[in-house]
Formats: sequence, structure tokens, C-alpha cells
Amino acid sequence: MVAIGLSRTQLQVTEGFASKSMELKWVRRRTTAKTLHLHNAKPLFPIYISTDPRHVDPQHLRDLFADCNRAFSTRPEHLHIRKLAVALSHSAVVVSVFCNLQHLNAVPNHNSSIADFFVPVSPFRDQLVGFGRAVSDYGLTASIYDVMVIPSLQRMGIGQMIVKKIVRMLTSRDVYDISVLCSENERLFFKACGFGDDILGSTTMMYTRTAPLTAPERE
Amino acid sequence: MWLANESRIPSSSSSPSPSHTCIINSHQLSECCVGWTRVTRIISHILTMLTLNLNAISSSSVLFLNLLHRTNADTLSLLASSLVFVSDHNLFTVMLSPLVAATRKFKSFQLKAGFWESIKSGLMKNNTTQVIDPPSVDEEDEEPLPQEFVLVEKTEPDGTIEQIIFSSGGDLDVYDLQALCDKVGWPRRPLSKLAAALKNSYIVASLHSIRKSPGSEGNEQKRLIGMARATSDHAFNATIWDVLVDPGYQGQGLGKALVEKLIRALLQRDIGNITLFADSQVVEFYRNLGFEADPEGIKGMFCYQL
Repeated sequence: MVAIGLSRTQLQVTEGFASKSMELKWVRRRTTAKTLHLHNAKPLFPIYISTDPRHVDPQHLRDLFADCNRAFSTRPEHLHIRKLAVALSHSAVVVSVFCNLQHLNAVPNHNSSIADFFVPVSPFRDQLVGFGRAVSDYGLTASIYDVMVIPSLQRMGIGQMIVKKIVRMLTSRDVYDISVLCSENERLFFKACGFGDDILGSTTMMYTRTAPLTAPERE
Repeated sequence: MWLANESRIPSSSSSPSPSHTCIINSHQLSECCVGWTRVTRIISHILTMLTLNLNAISSSSVLFLNLLHRTNADTLSLLASSLVFVSDHNLFTVMLSPLVAATRKFKSFQLKAGFWESIKSGLMKNNTTQVIDPPSVDEEDEEPLPQEFVLVEKTEPDGTIEQIIFSSGGDLDVYDLQALCDKVGWPRRPLSKLAAALKNSYIVASLHSIRKSPGSEGNEQKRLIGMARATSDHAFNATIWDVLVDPGYQGQGLGKALVEKLIRALLQRDIGNITLFADSQVVEFYRNLGFEADPEGIKGMFCYQL
């Protein structure tokens, strides 16, 4: 609660995309023989996808990072909550996905099917299950960071939904140069989202805090 | 949270028996407060603190206060009653009088926000008041202090002095930048987008050359000769874009100085993850500055399905 207060006041200071929307979407679990056996819940269930940064609680976000077993931004760093709140407030796009996991894992009750159809998935009550953000200069370029979905809800199209939403929000602001840094095993995922290697053939480089030892020798 | 706070207060009060009744009444008081707006919560908190610390308290007067709550008295009337109640102690009336003036203002525009907030706080697991925290975050989250200093100073044989000034304030003319991009051979980009990109970048470092002729007129010629900018989320990641130096000034270590200063400013802000996308001919240049190509298999990808 403290963290949400923090991000709200920061939003008054920094810029952001004006339109904040929350959508209810339905995802279908890919039913293989294994999943049908394991999960008694219905294959079709609702998730809530939101682009409002105020719906993200940095504490829940840190737990999500832990669940997804991701070193933060591909570098293992100690995740300070305050730093997370600062990063969220200065991200141009913040997409969060919520889901009511109790409904998901419960035994299906066929009597209350209509009531379940109208079940409200709320960012305040339900668990943060997916996240993605982008940093931009609102003119030329943007970079996507930290796209993740909890392991139990992966391979259902939620991640792609997040990336597509980020891209749509950026292109609606006329930003077309959208980049993302990904490791080997994430490359296929981003390829499926419509990303590819740079046509200009540029090399991605990261700062490693140590200048190469060969440089002074050469001179 | 309320219950935890109230349990701390009794240890400070001296007399045990009146404070006991005070604690019980303050518990009931706090339960009434759960659905209230933030301001009234703060005021009632102050009131309970005052009631518990006063020595001249009588249980009957506290019960009177409690009765007021039960009948859902108006905020101002509550404050009026509390003012009458503590009129013996002039210090506390001085403290409370600005609150009375403030509540009128607060009530009008915080009524709407308070309604949703009370619903939200009722739904959330841990609700704490966040009165103190926001200002401290704003202090930490400052923009990098703009630096400006002379990087190189040269005197030519005819007496003209040329200074190369480094500036991280981002005070750039977008037309100058467009002309410099043309000189370097970069494709043209819309001016409005360039201006927006400069405005929203975390740091914009630039190099200007100032030529002063030795004559008494002292006419200065200021030209933009280099630029580098970085976007960031102010906490973890930063990306360096658009590093360029005027072809006439290349090969002097100016580009290296630009990027080094940029990196130092970013590291000072504890932004450890600095990336960039280098064209093939400048990969070696960045490698000498401490960058590593495709570290740990991490590669950059760009969106083509727009």
C-alpha cells in the first residue's frame, strides 16, 4: 500500500501515456493429455490486462521476479523496492496482467457457470501474474524490459499479449524504433511477437565496468 | 495497523487505570475510523494521542468523545468539541487551530478521493498511511546536475583561442543538431521527433566549440560539434543513442570523452545496466571504452511487425 502511494505521487511529476486502460481478456490453456489430467479447472478463464502503472505494487512485482526465476534485467542485482518504484514511474509503458488464481485451481462448479462468466477480475484483489514495461524518449526510440509471466500460466499467449500491447501503445505515440534485449532462450518468443535482428546489422554491446587490458598495451 | 499503533502508546503514559479505559475507547474509536477519509483518520489519531498523554483525563470525557463518534458527528463539530475539551492546555489548542482551518479545504476536494481510498483500503491486506514517504522519494529522484566545463583549449598561431566546452545540460538547438547529423551522413529524421527525443532523454551531453578572435571586438563563434544522449528508467537500465562528432574534429578523443562522461554520470546514479547498439565500424571504439559485444548471449532485437 505504501508503494502504491509512492508511485501515485511520482506519476503526478513525470510524464506518461495519457490513455490508461484495463481490459478483461479470456485465455485458453493449450489442452494436451498431460494438462487435462493435472488441471481440473476449465481451460478458458479470465485475466485482466492493465496499462495503468498505479496497479502495480512493487512488492508484488518483486515476488513475480522471484517466481519467474529471472535475474533482474538479465543481471543479478539486489532488487530494492524504492528503486523498483522509481523505475516503474519512469517507464513509458507499464503493462500488468492479473488473474484470480483461486478460481483457476478450484474444481469446476457447473451450477454457477453464468456467475463465473461475470466474475470480476480486479487488479486490487487478484494476483499479479504477468508484467512488461518499456522505456522511451517519446520521439524516436524505445526499449522493452522485463517481460514475464508466472510459470504456471506460461504458453497460453499471455506474454505475446503483453508485448503486442506495449508495441501498440508505442506506435500510437509514433515511436517505431522499438528494441528489446533478450537471451538465447527468449529469442524465439520475441521472434513470434514480430521482432527480429537489426536490419542495419548493429551489434548489441553492454558496459562491463572493466576496460580491456589489451588497450594500453597496443598504444 | 491501528491496533499496533495504539498498543505502543500506553507504555508512554504514566497513570495505568485511566489509560486502560482510554485504550479500550480508542480501539472502538479506531474501528469507527476504518471507513473514514485519510484526513479524519489523521485527526482522530492525533486526538487519541492527546487524550492518552493528558494527565487530567477523566473516563467520562472520553466516553463523551466516543458518543460523538457513535452518532457520526461532523468532522468540524468533533474538532470543536475536542478544542473545548483541551482548552485547559493552551499548547494543544494552538496545535489544533490550524487543523480546523485546513479541514474545510481538505473536506471539499478530498471527499471524492477518500471514498475510493476507503474502499481500496478496506480491500487491501495491509493499509498504512503514507504521509511521510513521498517527499523523500522526490528528493532522491533528481535529474543529474548539469555540468559545463572547458574540455580543451587551443591557441592558434594568429591568436584566436578555441575552446571546446562539454555540457550535460541538454541545451541544444535542434536545428544545429540536424545540420550536424547531415554532416556526418545520417538519414534525416523529423525535427519534432528529434526535439521530443532530446527533451525526454535522461542525459544529453554535447560539445560546443567557441572561437574567440584576438581583436578587441570579442566576437564569439559557438558551434555544436558533438553530441551523445542516453535514455533511462532512472533506476536500472540505460541505453546510449546517437553518439556523433563533427568530422572535422574527429580523431582527437572527443567522442571518447563524450561517452566516458556519459557513463560516469550514469554510474554515479547507480544505473548499472548500460547498453548501446553499435554499427560495425565503431564496435572497436566502444570495446576500448569498456563495452562488451553480445555478453552472455544477450542480443538486441527490433520490432518489424508494426
